[in-house]
Amino acid sequence: MLQYTLRRILVAVPSVLGVMIIVFAMVRLAPGDPAQNLAGEFADAETIELIRERFGLNEPTHVQFYRFVTGVLQGDLGTSTRTYRPVTTDLATFFPNTLELALGAITIALLFGIPSGILAALRPNSAFDLSVMIGALIGVSMPVFWFGLLAILIFSVQLGWFPVAGRGTLMHLVLPAITLGLSSMAIIARMTRSSMLEVLNQDFIRTARAKGLFDRGVVMKHALRNALVPVVTVIGLQFGALLAGAVITETVFSWPGIGRLLVDSIRARDYPVVQGAVLLIAVSFIVVNLVVDLVYGFIDPRIRYD
Amino acid sequence: MLRRIAAMLLVIGLFALAAAQGTLIIAQGTDPASLDAAKATDSPSATVYSHIYETLYELTADGEVVPQLATGVTVSSDNMTYVFDIRQGVTFHDGTPLTANEVKASIEQFLAPETAAPFRFLLDRIAEVNVLDTYKVEVKLASVFAPLITHLTHSSTAIVKTGVDLDATPIGTGPFEFVSWDRGQRVDLKRYEGYWGDKPGIDGLRFLAVPESTTRMALVETGEAHVAVRVPPQDIARLNANPNVTVEQVSSVRTIYIYFNHTMEPFTDVRVRQAINYAVDKEELVEFVLGGAARVSDAPISPGVFGYTPVGSYEFDPEKARELLAEAGFPDGFSTTLYSPNGRYLQDIQVSEAIQSQLARVGIDAQIETLEWNAYLAKTNMPAEENEVPFAMLGWGTVTGDADYGHFALFHSTQHVPNGSNRAFYANPTVDALLDQARTNTDPALRAVLYEEVMKLLWDDAAWLFLYSETQLVAVRDGVEGLVIHPTERYLAFDVSLR
Repeated sequence: MLQYTLRRILVAVPSVLGVMIIVFAMVRLAPGDPAQNLAGEFADAETIELIRERFGLNEPTHVQFYRFVTGVLQGDLGTSTRTYRPVTTDLATFFPNTLELALGAITIALLFGIPSGILAALRPNSAFDLSVMIGALIGVSMPVFWFGLLAILIFSVQLGWFPVAGRGTLMHLVLPAITLGLSSMAIIARMTRSSMLEVLNQDFIRTARAKGLFDRGVVMKHALRNALVPVVTVIGLQFGALLAGAVITETVFSWPGIGRLLVDSIRARDYPVVQGAVLLIAVSFIVVNLVVDLVYGFIDPRIRYD
Repeated sequence: MLRRIAAMLLVIGLFALAAAQGTLIIAQGTDPASLDAAKATDSPSATVYSHIYETLYELTADGEVVPQLATGVTVSSDNMTYVFDIRQGVTFHDGTPLTANEVKASIEQFLAPETAAPFRFLLDRIAEVNVLDTYKVEVKLASVFAPLITHLTHSSTAIVKTGVDLDATPIGTGPFEFVSWDRGQRVDLKRYEGYWGDKPGIDGLRFLAVPESTTRMALVETGEAHVAVRVPPQDIARLNANPNVTVEQVSSVRTIYIYFNHTMEPFTDVRVRQAINYAVDKEELVEFVLGGAARVSDAPISPGVFGYTPVGSYEFDPEKARELLAEAGFPDGFSTTLYSPNGRYLQDIQVSEAIQSQLARVGIDAQIETLEWNAYLAKTNMPAEENEVPFAMLGWGTVTGDADYGHFALFHSTQHVPNGSNRAFYANPTVDALLDQARTNTDPALRAVLYEEVMKLLWDDAAWLFLYSETQLVAVRDGVEGLVIHPTERYLAFDVSLR
């Protein structure tokens, strides 16, 4: 298992390098200029030149790339051309906020998604099943900004139950976490349902029932455990995506997360922050996937890592 | 009896004290980019740090230049040397006194190439700064520069504590001192008890970063914020219907216009440019597209800027527009491309679409091209021979409060992009000569006359399609008194009291 983990980490190196090359090239291919953006629409050529020099933007592209790569190896991601702050400082400020929101969202998604998926699978085509599936369809298709604003208007402005926006207490987390977790909840519920349905029709479940086991024991111990592998895959993918920041939810609720930082930085052509943030997101996605792969072994002992 | 009166007075006193205190909460659209005055160009940053730092001179909301950290100035007869008297009894928030040395260090730090200050050009005529005595600073210029004093009112030229990381711990001499900054969320300031002037009536200030306008408005509706900036025009009526909220409308020094590329046919013909000015109904745009949140331009710059005088109007007259087009050889109109930003200025793309339909009525077919802001800047910033943009919307805020800033970079022929900001490639020797003269002559009365002449020339020459000045829409909760909504798009709470 340790060997497997080490091998996976080694395999991740080319992926990370690939991400670095792509993001480095993409930000520079987009039209626009960080110095022009910082200086504003009416700055003169001299000021723009000074800013370029200050941030090393007038150096040849390959030198800039070399600096980027060697910087990453030394834990230095450069200086933001929008705020003049070290990129690592910004990432260290914003990423924990994103992690908090993502954990809140995935908790809500699991808490409601898995039980409703199981219950729906136990009574296929019942009224409950139908309502869960319709609810899931609505959850997946509802625009996040619309739901978020509606939640603010109803629960904050009208009822006054939750604060309108910002981050701080647990109460601040409730509305953004529900808003963000809604589509993950829907996807997890659907996945749990279909995976459970498949397992419940298999021979070993019939055998377990024939042995006279309690229905709850059959469902929780035999069926759920076998149904979980695809569900865990989906959870991992969803959580990875949540870690990439949720720019719409973050904007609606003024949540200071990495998605907003990234979009603001793209708008300002802040190359170092865009590079740093994308790199961090890529690495966290790789880590989440690795963790998911390791979790498979615990759920299903037949899966071996060699 | 006496004791009872004393007790009552004490209670009343405590109530008065409680009423005078509290924290004012202002919801802005974004987090400040930086709290180092030299390094930020956005107005949310300037709003925050204007409470922390002070400048040598101040531009009041009425457009007057008054002394702040300087108490007076003596100018040499050749207008090349300025000696400033520095206010005595002023301390920085770390307790150190302000003297000529700090002023010199602050100006030098602003001008240092390694600072790479975006607004460096405001003071780049300064050749050297010398300390004459504890409270006297001498500034020598490289060439005569009349707008120097007004440029010293610009918030980015603030006198700061040097040698510290101002972004992390901003230290100035202003009425509020820095407490904390949760990036992406809020900045907290508190009253500076050692302030030299009248101390603020509130304990502190909190600035929230709330990008979504509906959320920002909800904050002020629920009372979680006292002030919310940039009210969407469509929300004005709803907010005003709320008994606790009022939407204040204050004009801004930002002028919105559409420039012609003066090197491209058919905009080389003044009759075509005038025809377009007549064809567009500015009143209709202001009333129906902007919900009244603008003022139709009557000069290239806005009221509240030194040198402003109303110089004319192009009344909506489609008949005259058609006549002028026919005279210019376009009886059936022509086709062109109108470049427009989307989301940079209030209702920008909507205004462009309305103009498109108004131009269609006189036979001009303007296809709208909209680009993301950076791509837009890059495209309009190309040198004349590579520039493909014939007709494009932009805004300009004369934030120094001096007409020089609103004309020189935009109309002088030495300022064609990418050198300066003259994206229209406007070139007129008479305008050049007048602008040079106004820049180097220090007599305000004469300068005002020169700018009036410049503006008349530009107006009659239809150098742009002149549109309107923006109005700032700010939702303020009842009980907030004394908030200054500054035409330079800053919100100042020096004199605020909370009921």
